[in-house]
Amino acid sequence: MPLTIRVKSIAFGASLSLLGAIGAAQAQETIKLGLSVPLSGTGATWGKGSEFMCKKAAQEIAQAGGVKVAGKAYNFECLAYDNKYNAAEGTKVAQTLLNREGVKFIGGSLGTALVQALQSLSERRGVILFTTAWGPSIKGPKFPLTFTQMNTPFEILPPLIRFIHEENPQAKSIVMLNPNDATGRDTEAVAKKVWSETGVKVLSSDFYERGTTEFQPMAARIASLKPDIVDLGAMPPADAGAVLKELDVLGWKGVKVVEVGTGIDGLKATGGNAIEGVYMGAAVTFDGPTATERQKAVNAEARTLLGESINAIQIGFYDSVYALKAAMEKAQSIDPKAVAAALPDAAFTSFYGDKVDFYGVDTYGSRQQMRLPVIITQARDGKLVEKSRVVPSAK
Amino acid sequence: MQTAIQLILTSLQIGAVYILFSLGLTLVFGVMRIVNFAHGQLFAVSALVVATTVPWLAGWGLPILPAYLFAVVAGVGVAVALGLLMYVGGFRFFQRDLVGSFILSIGLVLVLDGVLLKVFGGAVRPVPEILPGTVSVLGATITNQRLALCVAAMVITGLLYLALTRTKLGKALRAVSIDHEAAMLQGVPYNAMALAGFIIAAGLAALAGALIAPVTIVSPVIGADYLVKGFIAVIVGGLGSVPGAIVGGLFVAAIETFGSFYFDPSSATIAIFLLVIAVLLVRPKGLLGHG
Repeated sequence: MPLTIRVKSIAFGASLSLLGAIGAAQAQETIKLGLSVPLSGTGATWGKGSEFMCKKAAQEIAQAGGVKVAGKAYNFECLAYDNKYNAAEGTKVAQTLLNREGVKFIGGSLGTALVQALQSLSERRGVILFTTAWGPSIKGPKFPLTFTQMNTPFEILPPLIRFIHEENPQAKSIVMLNPNDATGRDTEAVAKKVWSETGVKVLSSDFYERGTTEFQPMAARIASLKPDIVDLGAMPPADAGAVLKELDVLGWKGVKVVEVGTGIDGLKATGGNAIEGVYMGAAVTFDGPTATERQKAVNAEARTLLGESINAIQIGFYDSVYALKAAMEKAQSIDPKAVAAALPDAAFTSFYGDKVDFYGVDTYGSRQQMRLPVIITQARDGKLVEKSRVVPSAK
Repeated sequence: MQTAIQLILTSLQIGAVYILFSLGLTLVFGVMRIVNFAHGQLFAVSALVVATTVPWLAGWGLPILPAYLFAVVAGVGVAVALGLLMYVGGFRFFQRDLVGSFILSIGLVLVLDGVLLKVFGGAVRPVPEILPGTVSVLGATITNQRLALCVAAMVITGLLYLALTRTKLGKALRAVSIDHEAAMLQGVPYNAMALAGFIIAAGLAALAGALIAPVTIVSPVIGADYLVKGFIAVIVGGLGSVPGAIVGGLFVAAIETFGSFYFDPSSATIAIFLLVIAVLLVRPKGLLGHG
């Protein structure tokens, strides 16, 4: 073969090899993040917003080059399934995610009863589970792979209730209403204790079935007891708004609280002007001076898609993705057990802008709770106003 | 006393929708001897169409009341069309076949649940206030919207009663429900009556959904709660009995209202189910049922 042709062939072959090597270096593997969220019913906006935030975080990480572990780069893929906010569907979703999809990381899950179904599988299978579930029994040394991605009643209620009590010292009695499931009962247990500790008398604490659409009788009962405060606990926004509307019709005027209130849009949809003055513990406002441009941009995008602002529940699904990234890069492993061991100390910047780690030894026995700010807000003239912000300092 | 009046008024308001809903269920059973679990989906479709159409029309500048009336026509139209499709494509092949129609309607529920979620999304759809303000009735407070709902439900129930007792169609429907073979021997076209009964039932469910939309939480799963309560009302009142559906609807509403007030909402729900068990044990035909 003439020399020039041989040289050209070698050069061509080397070029092909080089291109192949570059291609291989850029090829990124995908890590599936399962999401068990309500995509229908009164919790649908929470679920859809959570999926949106997970995908947002995954997209940002991919654009920044992915998660770098042991010389490889990984991207996240968010897989959301509808748990309809009930235990039966939650069990089906758990089976789908873990058996059919084979996920090793649950990026987020909503609903205590549903999460208990999921956790019974995930802990056995060595799958990391992030959850917004409020029950204290789902965390602890017995469940080393479970982590909470938003504040729970133990974090939110003490500062929220004390703040409300200080602003309304004349309010001495309360009626509480919660959904009749694990989420509602866990919330009620903590709230009742804290309200009693502040000296407020609990006149009644009732439960209703999720899926109820007629709230008039409940409102009539509440109004007849003439409480100074009505606490709607863990009610979804649409349900809470409906109750407040009926209370307004009956002429009840008092202090309104929706502990897991995540924003005014969902409340306003069914409550109209009756939501004025509602205190909430899981809502975030992006109109104030503390909001960054990035937060405002993401919120604006979410509003276009969902029709309402993002809230603490949904932000948790963003933060869990970054938490996993930080832990994987710290552990230099994508093995769930190694990642779980690295998570408590794998500090990352949350959507709130704070550097976040995990804590909770005093309450839960282990560091499985994300250290997030508790933001107390109130509905004023149709807008959400931030009243107070507390960052927990426990270990 | 005022509390009792408020509770009675609340029971009437809630019962009004249960009555309209269960009238449709009982009519289908009376004429075709089938139970249609997809009745809740017809109710939901109408409510969803109203909840989607009212804000859209109001956004175009139409005043809210005409927008709502147009939306009701649209909602009922869509639901009745869907009902016609369900009958022509399915139920007409399962007339007087309880098991077959049961399986068909369960299948329709699953399919329609998915379709409604896909078309309307899962989120709650608010309907703007149509008739703002409240009115006092014997010292108890009721919103103008709910008062209008009660009046509309009474008018529709009255018209249905008149139609069933005074019109040729109504008499033919009653004849078929009493003894379909004897009716056929008298020249009553059974298939036409079955179709008419199904369509009227679909219309009643659609009207119930359209009337409740402005005062409730409208989402694709709204039909499920009303279906359960509607069936309880029909079983308590008697399958196939129009007066029974009215009595049953009011009974369920009263237990829900008084139970929630004097005990708690969860206890009221349990009481409703205990009631239906008691009725089935003591009087399986229902209070006013034919058997």
